[in-house]
Amino acid sequence: MTKDTFIIENSTGIHARPASEFVKTAGKFKSKIELTAKGRTIDAKSIIMVMGLGLTKDTEVVITADGADEKTAVKELVALAHSFKTAEDKKKE
Amino acid sequence: MKQRFTGLGVTTGVGIGKALRAQVDLDKYLKTYIPSFVEDEKEKVDKALSEVESFLFDKAEELRADGRTEQGAILEAHAMIVGDPVMRENVLSKIDATGNSPRAVLAAAEEQAKAFEEMEDEYFRARAVDFRDVGRRIARVILGVPDRDVGDEPVILCGYEIEPSVIANIKTGQIAGIILGAGSTTAHAVIIAKAQGIPAIVGAVDAARAILDEEEVLMDGDTGEIITGPTTEERAVYEKKAKKEEKQKEHYLALKDLPAVTEDGRSVILAANIGIPSDMDFAEEYGAEGVGLFRTEFLFMGRDELPTEDEQFEAYKNVAEKNGDKLTIIRTMDIGGDKPLSYLEIPKEENPFLGYRALRVSLKRKDLFLPQLKAALRASCYGKVAVMFPMIINVSEFLKAKEFVDEAKVELQAEHKDYNNDVQFGVMVETPAAAMMADSLAKYADFFSIGSNDLVQYTLAVDRSNAEIAHLYNHYHPAVLRLVQNIIKAAKTHGIPAGMCGEMASDPRAAVLLLAMGIDELSMGAPSIPIVKEQVRRVRMDEAKVLLEKAFTFEDGEEVKRYLEGQL
Repeated sequence: MTKDTFIIENSTGIHARPASEFVKTAGKFKSKIELTAKGRTIDAKSIIMVMGLGLTKDTEVVITADGADEKTAVKELVALAHSFKTAEDKKKE
Repeated sequence: MKQRFTGLGVTTGVGIGKALRAQVDLDKYLKTYIPSFVEDEKEKVDKALSEVESFLFDKAEELRADGRTEQGAILEAHAMIVGDPVMRENVLSKIDATGNSPRAVLAAAEEQAKAFEEMEDEYFRARAVDFRDVGRRIARVILGVPDRDVGDEPVILCGYEIEPSVIANIKTGQIAGIILGAGSTTAHAVIIAKAQGIPAIVGAVDAARAILDEEEVLMDGDTGEIITGPTTEERAVYEKKAKKEEKQKEHYLALKDLPAVTEDGRSVILAANIGIPSDMDFAEEYGAEGVGLFRTEFLFMGRDELPTEDEQFEAYKNVAEKNGDKLTIIRTMDIGGDKPLSYLEIPKEENPFLGYRALRVSLKRKDLFLPQLKAALRASCYGKVAVMFPMIINVSEFLKAKEFVDEAKVELQAEHKDYNNDVQFGVMVETPAAAMMADSLAKYADFFSIGSNDLVQYTLAVDRSNAEIAHLYNHYHPAVLRLVQNIIKAAKTHGIPAGMCGEMASDPRAAVLLLAMGIDELSMGAPSIPIVKEQVRRVRMDEAKVLLEKAFTFEDGEEVKRYLEGQL
């Protein structure tokens, strides 16, 4: 199992559009992927669950992946979550 | 007037039209719906889910192709919600309880929506509308409710919330106004209204409840006033306001076919900056004389792999054809660590604007650069195309890029694809280094285009998006003016044209200074073209030169700005 922690950095959080990107990327991997935040653990491949977690700015999220491609999965998803920050916040300028 | 309401105006302008209730009343369909066996009801749900899911994916694709990326992304998120097993399970468990599939769908969606409404964050609360929209869409399919026929008349959309799918279904020019009961200024409807310049009012709870379908409505996006069932007098007042706005627009549009020439006959090309091919509609509407900056980032965004040569060729050809004998300047990819794309493998950087971006990436990624150059070269058979390279600091970078151009040509020849050998290659001068070295670069480049936004940001070391220091951003800063003059001078010395794309070019007062410096082309967002043109047509070159001379005597950008405001 691979585990990592990241902080939500973009000002609007992981709402609809970022959530769909996140879930799409998660769906590419075979591993079981879960997110834990605010004491809840959910399936990272469900957009409803991911949106429902209410990942607003500064929320700490633990990501775990279990399976053949767990390492790449965690790496890519954490990088994606970081990328939302500037892409989003730049758009607002 | 039948009734008068007020809300918060979020986009300006007057709207006159027939109300279009954003929500079809599903109640009457629900009342007459007769459910069958539980298994059949479940089957109906599965059928409706897959139908709606593929419809939404298709629609998202369609909107994207049309350049409405934001709306496309929203519908794609909706498609994913519909396809989410969580949705299906919720609905199926509700069918077990009630036996009625459309009600089960609506109840499941409502449950989700409520959960979002309880969230603290405004952005997340606003997502409730997405779930209700999705639920109603699925229910409509099961109930067999036909799509609403909107006709061709201008409509004022109103509802407590307006579902993104409703807006996506109406032609762009047909929405005369938007009235929202919800107070959110971040709602999808508001984002769209802002992008398209549609008058919009939010927070009009009572209005959203009381306005009847097809009722005549007046609204003013400046004051937030809404009037239903207006008297002839009220209507007249609004029509007058609308006419005034129209006149203003007409006044500018009337300049459309007039040349951009000073009183004493010096002409300048006023071109448009475009981000997607459909922006050409605006460019034409405002009388752009070509495209001075065709940003190509849209081709690279929102995808998992590099765009192909053919995809890019189609986009470039489309714009080149529309421009006819007017020039289209394609800027090669300008992406960096601020918008990392998985396939570009740009690591997260501390300072992406001083990092691995734009041409710095292109020169290292043949797989990215060659297809883009080949596509641009091929497009040159369909119009007048030029290419410029962003983020240059060294002559060697430009020469290296030109080597890639040669390689692209060799490949095209080998593949028997046509291109025009006269395509010009220029430098987008946007770093202080390139500005200082303009005389060297001018020996090799076919043209210059000054990218003023980055040039100002890099020269002044000011990030305008930082509210703390935004006031320091000023394109009249003497350092900027001197650099710009240096660039234009170098271009003149070497006999190549110099243009500017960036916000400075859309400032009519700055345009006068640039004219005096000898600029050949100004490229800007299309709606600014007539405003700049009006200024150009009012000034004489001797006046402009005096203003420039005086501007150079100030030691502070704010003084220059104040001086010009007093003079022009």
